[in-house]
Amino acid sequence: MKKPTIVDNTIRIPSSQEYLVDIDSFLEGILRGYAINESTIADIAISVTEIVNNAIIHGNKSDLEKEVAVSITKRNSEIEIIIADQGSGFDPSTVKSPITDDNLLREVGRGIFIVKSLMDRVVFNSRGNCGTIVTLSKQLS
Amino acid sequence: MKLTDYEKKGIAILEPKGKIMGGPDATLLHDRLHELIETGKKQVVVDMAKVEWMNSTGLGILISGLTTLRNNQGELRLANVTGKIHSLLTITKLITVFEAFDSVEDAINSF
Repeated sequence: MKKPTIVDNTIRIPSSQEYLVDIDSFLEGILRGYAINESTIADIAISVTEIVNNAIIHGNKSDLEKEVAVSITKRNSEIEIIIADQGSGFDPSTVKSPITDDNLLREVGRGIFIVKSLMDRVVFNSRGNCGTIVTLSKQLS
Repeated sequence: MKLTDYEKKGIAILEPKGKIMGGPDATLLHDRLHELIETGKKQVVVDMAKVEWMNSTGLGILISGLTTLRNNQGELRLANVTGKIHSLLTITKLITVFEAFDSVEDAINSF
């Protein structure tokens, strides 16, 4: 079975949630190296694990032969994270608002809403059957 | 995430510790919460003091426990909600759904 691999600032994991802890450790290691405060690290980790969960479950359908890749880059006062899956694409406009009265008690469906609240920029780029690339940016104060 | 639980005044107290992000650890919290409900517990407090952060998976587990308990004439209350988690509850408007208390003792005495 495939295992997580790290090359430079990119980690690749098989499509299983058991590897979320590897993603979190990878992120924290790099972000602490940039001397970023703990609250911002938590915002980024929450957001990245949300998108990785979606990539594993909805993108790659938990197919262990498919991978999720997470890359992290610091540009001046901005952190950019790119998450790529190998699924069949995703249309974020189909996601319902989780804060309407009808949806408030739903157990799922809050992930993207939370990510958009915590990050400064969220861009979805569906590549059809070649997967989805999500770019997250966070300004450092 | 690690999870311990105990009982006080007939109320089940769950103490998750660490990060709730999905995967096997999150399943542990979901399963223990529902185990307690199945064994007849109707009053549950989740002590959030040692939770560093959670994502929507953790929120979904808390909602699942709350709705299951309410459907069985029970109630789930939160204690020691930290800044980051309070912020998530506010963003998602779940702060209007959960009753949160400053301490486990206050949460227990609220039943």
